Parts: sequence; structure tokens; C-alpha cells
Amino acid sequence: MGVAGVIFDGLLALALVWLAWQATRAADLFHAVVSFIVFGLLMALAWVRLEAPDIALAEAAIGAGATGALLLSALDRLATRDGYHRVLYEPTTAWGFWIPAGGALLGGLTLAAWKLPAPGLGEEVLASLKLSGVDHPVTAVLLNFRALDTLLEIGVLLLAAVTIWSLGRAPSPLVPAMPSPALPALGRLLFPVFVLVAAYLLWRGSHAPGGAFPAGAVLGAGAILMLLAGARPWIRSSEHGPWRWILSLGLAMLLAAAVTGSLSGLAFFEYPRGAAGPMILLLEVAAGLSIALLLFALYLRGEPCEHGYREVGS
Amino acid sequence: MIPETTGPVVLFSLPLAAAIVVFIRPRWSVPVTLGSGGILLATALWVVVAVLRQGPWRQDIGGWTAPLGIGWTVDGLSAALLLLNASVGLAGAVFHAARPAARTPVRDPRFFWPLWLFLWGGLNALFLAADLFNIYVALEFVSIASVGLIGLAGGSAQAAAWRYLLATLLGSTIYLLGVALLYGRYAALDVALLAESVEPELVTVVAAALMTLGLLLKAAVFPLHFWLPAAHGRAPPAVSAVLSAVVIAAAYYLLVRLWFGPFAPLLGPGVATLLGLLGAAAVLWGGLQALLQRHLKMLIAYSTVSQLGYGLLVFPLAAAGAVQLAWTGAVMLVVAHGLAKAALFLAAGAIVLRHGIGRLEALGGDQQGAVVAWVAFAIASASLVGLPPTGGFVGKWWLAQAALATGGYFWLAVLMLGTAFTAGYLWRALQAAMRPGWETEGGFQALSPALGLSALGLALGSAALGLAAPIAARLLDAGSGVVG
Amino acid sequence: MTVYLSLSGVLFLIGLHGFFTARSLLRRLLALNVLTTAVFLLFVVLARLAEPLDPVPHAIVLTGIVVTVSTTAVALALVVRIAGRVRDEDDDAAAGPRGDAG
Repeated sequence: MGVAGVIFDGLLALALVWLAWQATRAADLFHAVVSFIVFGLLMALAWVRLEAPDIALAEAAIGAGATGALLLSALDRLATRDGYHRVLYEPTTAWGFWIPAGGALLGGLTLAAWKLPAPGLGEEVLASLKLSGVDHPVTAVLLNFRALDTLLEIGVLLLAAVTIWSLGRAPSPLVPAMPSPALPALGRLLFPVFVLVAAYLLWRGSHAPGGAFPAGAVLGAGAILMLLAGARPWIRSSEHGPWRWILSLGLAMLLAAAVTGSLSGLAFFEYPRGAAGPMILLLEVAAGLSIALLLFALYLRGEPCEHGYREVGS
Repeated sequence: MIPETTGPVVLFSLPLAAAIVVFIRPRWSVPVTLGSGGILLATALWVVVAVLRQGPWRQDIGGWTAPLGIGWTVDGLSAALLLLNASVGLAGAVFHAARPAARTPVRDPRFFWPLWLFLWGGLNALFLAADLFNIYVALEFVSIASVGLIGLAGGSAQAAAWRYLLATLLGSTIYLLGVALLYGRYAALDVALLAESVEPELVTVVAAALMTLGLLLKAAVFPLHFWLPAAHGRAPPAVSAVLSAVVIAAAYYLLVRLWFGPFAPLLGPGVATLLGLLGAAAVLWGGLQALLQRHLKMLIAYSTVSQLGYGLLVFPLAAAGAVQLAWTGAVMLVVAHGLAKAALFLAAGAIVLRHGIGRLEALGGDQQGAVVAWVAFAIASASLVGLPPTGGFVGKWWLAQAALATGGYFWLAVLMLGTAFTAGYLWRALQAAMRPGWETEGGFQALSPALGLSALGLALGSAALGLAAPIAARLLDAGSGVVG
Repeated sequence: MTVYLSLSGVLFLIGLHGFFTARSLLRRLLALNVLTTAVFLLFVVLARLAEPLDPVPHAIVLTGIVVTVSTTAVALALVVRIAGRVRDEDDDAAAGPRGDAG
């Protein structure tokens, strides 16, 4: 790795620690949120240094991008409320008691984690990779070896969207104030780039880092950027429109694929012989699109209008 | 002949599929939920019978064996909890479908049904899962669905939902850290595989401590119970029922799974006594708080803190040598509590709906029209207190025998004292029915008989569990990870 | 790798500290996210330490990131609703006693 690498890692770690501290301790909430977003971006660098490019992409798009947008818009919403201070400054309970406990925990943790042998499952994955239907190990784990996790994960996304809808209507207008006049133009300019990057990642995913998850994340982040740039959200909650179908599609397809295994006399979620490759590709596209759309739906912070939005400012 | 491995497939897939359907077509909510609920209850029964007939089994997902793949475990313990979940799920759905619209606090009922089915599916996924990370995802799934359902009551319930969400997320993150340590040491996430390979060394101890702490927080074990009463007390009745009966039991289920599986070598007298003391404190503190409550639903919510404490007595009693008795007793008690507690919440929901107010002193007066609900309340109370021949009695009896066999007189005293508290606070609630009540403006709300009947069904189930004690003992012995 | 292992521990402590001492709802959520990131970091360090590179923790963390953004979104939506409700109550209080005069 060399001295330069070690120095880089050290500086990166210091910066991350400082940002995490700012995110949890900074006096100003806006400052805290921005620190957190930058923290996410730098974490992406750390993932690259740890040879996890898939995670780096997802972190940049979701950890920094989508979460950042969510936090900023919530902050904006909170700041315009008179109730802000009353809610945000609830009295602390006897939490102080837990700090020494946490310190002791960390001590034990460090001792325990220091010399982990980390045998890993790399060899097992490589040995079964040929049978999995894809070339890229992470994709094989996500959509074949541990596909059940992925099904539940897409389920969590859809469930989160339904939960958010159940809390009430999406605020309208969704984007109250434009932070920068350059943003709309930039957003429109960038959106096609996001789509292209997402498509490229998806295509690459079966044999190299990339695939449905980073692609979906990038696409979702792009859509949120469009929204920030002033586009009106196009998702509708009407029972008659297609949106409920489209949002549920990812989970429905994963479930169908899983049950197909059982119905054809195989194990639950076992792909029929020879069909693993095409089925995984299909599921990847569905999962990626689901991630993108559901991330976008999460951003709306409420049930979208049933039939259409009023013009902002009219 | 359909193979028994179809059972778990149905239990996993059907609630999720039904949730999608009712999300897309809200108008079909009630028939779809009740229909699939009936199928799920029948399937859970079938799985129980299959475990009784041929013993526990394991299913590999996707045809991949551990450590690479994920598996499902179906044994007596998981089958019992799957059946509990199906019973409460169906009864709660019947209650919610039959509730009068006017006084229901649920603001936007359209989203109750998908959330209900999602919670059902998440819990089933959790009870089946044999993989530590799959369990994590299922835990988060259950948390979000619970939060959504609590928040439906609006108003102060949303603040309670927030507190619950933070507590439960912290719990799962701490749990996940333990999982990461175990993976780094043993390169396995499968519970059975870990049980074979775990060594009693520092990494395992720290991982066990973390995962236990996370799960204790989720199970609302004293002193980590602070979030529970408000969340369970303020949610809509059906939601309180499933949260107190099944969601709490799910965290307890994982504790038992881990400590009688991979962490069994670590279960020395020290750890066991510590967990037992937490349980004892929960029994007494929760009981005391329940005695002091003025609101019917809050009383029942505090009772959950207390009753779950009994479950933790399994650790000291098992460590002292009475593994079989303590194990069957504690699990029996938790399942009987689940049925009884859900019955109590549904009955209380019906009673509170009828009176339009939940304060104990206001619940007296004319009880015509709430007779079934009060009968259900009384039967469920009998099971919770532990009167023979209910399931609660059998569970306590087994635990007491375990305590006697191992000379654990302190635990026996806790059991007795807790029973006295339980009798005390439930008697307070039942007494309310006999007093003259407040005049309610506009009279009582007329209720569909289905409300009381859904509670009665669960209460009778909890009582009948006592009569089925030999079968229950055989089921829970079926390869529950208890090594002889 | 030692650097990243230590980083994971320190981040965990910062997250824990933040969670237990922060007074604001939003900040607790940020602390929770830092905490989760620390756990993810441990997973990925373990993957890197293994020989050959272990893809399973990578998949686990990818799943975890999506799960975390879902929980964060739900939490934020709740915070905004709770703050809104408090504001409405304050408005009611400012408008004087309720006008039902019953």
C-alpha cells in the first residue's frame, strides 16, 4: 500500500471522526446535517480504499445523496415551525448513566475485534459462482445465495413507503424555497447523466462492480435532485392509477420468483436449472427500478396527491 | 401429498402477497385479509402437527446450504410462535374489520390493512429465519410495520411511535454489531452452524453481550422498558394486541434461540442469574406500575413488562440444571401470555370503544352489550394470573417445579409475588365493571358482537392451552435446540 | 486495516455518545446513522481481511444501507409530523381558549 496510502487512510479517518463528531455535536442543526452529508461522501472514499466499490456507489447515492436530501428537507420543514424548539429540545433523561457503560462496551469490543481471524466465505462464494448464473460475486450473493435478504430488503423499502403514506399527505408545495437559482438548470442537465450512469451500472453489474443496487440508488438520487430542481413529483396515490402497481412490482416479482422454485418442485427461491442467469437479470432490473422509485417515494414524506398537484405558487 | 416444506413457504409468502394486493386494491382489504388469515391459521396448525408427527426440520433457501445460503428452521419453538402469530393476526383482523367507524382513533384506515399484513409477514419471516443477518432484516421489517401501525392512532401515539422507533433501531444496530463480530470470527451466520463451531472466548462473549443487550431493549425488559407502555397503550386496540402478544415475544424468542443455541456454552450461573434478576425486577416493577395505572389500556401495557419477566426466569433455572422443565414452562408461559394479552387488549378495546373513555373509574354502569368482552377479559385474566386449568397455570407450574427441583426458592418467591400483583391489577380492572359508571353523553356505542367474540376466541385459546399441556410439552421438546 | 478498524470503534463510540446525550430528535437520528455506519465499516474491514476478498459482507452492507435509509425516512417523516402537531397546538393556545364555550 505504501506510505502515501497509510497517510491518506489516516487523514481520511481523522476527517471522518471530526465530521461524525460535528454531525452529532455541532451547535447548529444545519451544520450537523451538512457535516453528516459530507461524512457520507467521505465514507464512499473509505469504501473504495477497502475495495468495496459497490458499497461506495451506494453510499454516495443513498448514504450521502438520498439521506442528505431527506435530512435537509426535513430540516427545512422543521425550521419553519414554531414548535421546533419545544420538540427538538426535549429534556434529557437519565441517559448519562449509559455513557460509562458504552465506554466499557467499547473497551471489550476493541479487545474482541483486534485479532479477529476473519476467515470469510470468499472461497465458498468462488466455488459456487459458476452455478449462480452471474459472474460478479456480490451480485451472486445478493440475488442468489442470499436472495431472501434482498426480498425482505425490497419489502422494507415498500413498507417504509406505505408507512410514510399512512402518516398523512405529502406537504405541498414539497420544495418550499430554492436554495440556489442555479439548481433547477443543473438538475435538468444532470438527470440524463444520472439515468445513463444507472443504466451503465446495471449493465456492468453481472460481471463487475455495479448492478441493480447502486444503479437503483443513483437513479433514485437523480430523481430526488430533479425534485429539488423544481420538478413536480409524478407519483400518484390513486387506486386507479398505475403507481401502486409500479411501486409494488419489485417485491411482487421477487416473491413470484421465490415461489416459482417451490411450485416447480425445487427449494423456495431456487432458480430452475439453466434459468438462473436470465431470471437474475430480470429480478435485478425490477429490484433496481424498485429501489429508485421507492427512494423517490420515501422522499415525498407523505402520501402523494391522488390525482395531481396544484401549480406551486398559483 | 403436499410436502410439509410447503407450510413455511405459505407462511412466508402469503402475508406479503396479500399485503401487496390490499395496498393496490384497498377495497378488497377485509376479504383478502380475513381469507388469507384463515389460510395462514390453518397452515400454522398444519406445521405444528407436522412437527409433532415427524420432528423438526430445516429448509435451505434457493438450494444453497449454509454457510453460503440462508435456511429456515421449523421446530417446536418456531411452530408454536407461528401459530400464536396466526391466531392473534386473525383475531385482530376480525376485531378491526368489525369495529365501529365513528370512535376509532385510526385516522387513515386505508393503510391499516397493508401494514397489518406486512407485520404478519415480517413476524413469520423472523420466526422461520435461521440466519443472523436475515433475522436483522426481518427485525427492521417488523419495527417499521409496528411504527406505522402505532402511528395510525395519530396525536400522541406518533410521539410514542417515535420513541419506540429509536429504541428498536438502537437495539437492532447493537445486535448487528454482535453479528459482525461472530461473522469475523467464525465466517458463519447460520444459527445451527454457529452452535457447532462457537468457542467460549472473548469475541463470543462480547458478541453475545451485544446481541443480548439489543434484544433486551427490543423485548422491553426492565430497565429498558421505558418505551413500551406509551406505544402499546396508545395504539389502536388490534395493534396493541399484536405488539404486546407477538412482537415482544419475537425478541424473547430470539433471546431463547441464541442462548439455548450458539451461546449455550456461555450460559454460566453468573449470566443466567443476571438475566433472571432482570426478569424478576421486570415482574415486580411492571406489576407495581400496572397496579397504579388509571387507564385500562395502560394497565394492560404495564402488565406486558411484568409478564415477560417470567420468561427470563428460564435462564437461571436452566443453568441450575432443570433445562427441560424451565424451557417448556417459560415458552408455554410466553405463548399463553401472548394469547391472553391479545385477548385482554381486544376486550379492553371493545369496552373502551363502547364507553368512549378508557379511565378505569368510568367503565362501570350498565354492562349489557359488553358481556362477551368482559367474559373474555375474565378468562384471559384467569390465564394471566395462572388459575388452573389455563395455559398460564401450566407454564407457571412447570417453572415452579423447575425452581423446586433446583432449590431456586428466590425464583419461586418471585413467581408467587408476581402472581399476587397480577391478580391485584386484573381484579382492579374487573371491579371497574361492577361499579356504577359515569353517565356517558349520548349513551353507549353499539358494538358488533364480533369485537367481543374475537377477544373471547383468544382467551379460550389461552385457557385451552392448559388442557393441551401434554401436547404442548411434546411440541416444545421437539428439537428446540435444548441439548438434553 | 488497523486504521479502519479503529475508525469503526471510534465512530461507534461517537454514535453511542451522540445518541444518549443529544437533546434534539434529529440529532439522535444522525447519531444512529453514524452508529450503523460504524457497524457496516466493521463488516467491510472483515471482508478485506479475509483471503480471498469476501463478497458476503459487501452484500450484507448493501442490504443494510437500503434498510437504513428506509428507517431513516420513516423516522424523519414522523419527526416532521410531531413537530407540526406541536405547532398546531401552540397556534391553538395562542388563539386563546377554545371557542366551544360549551
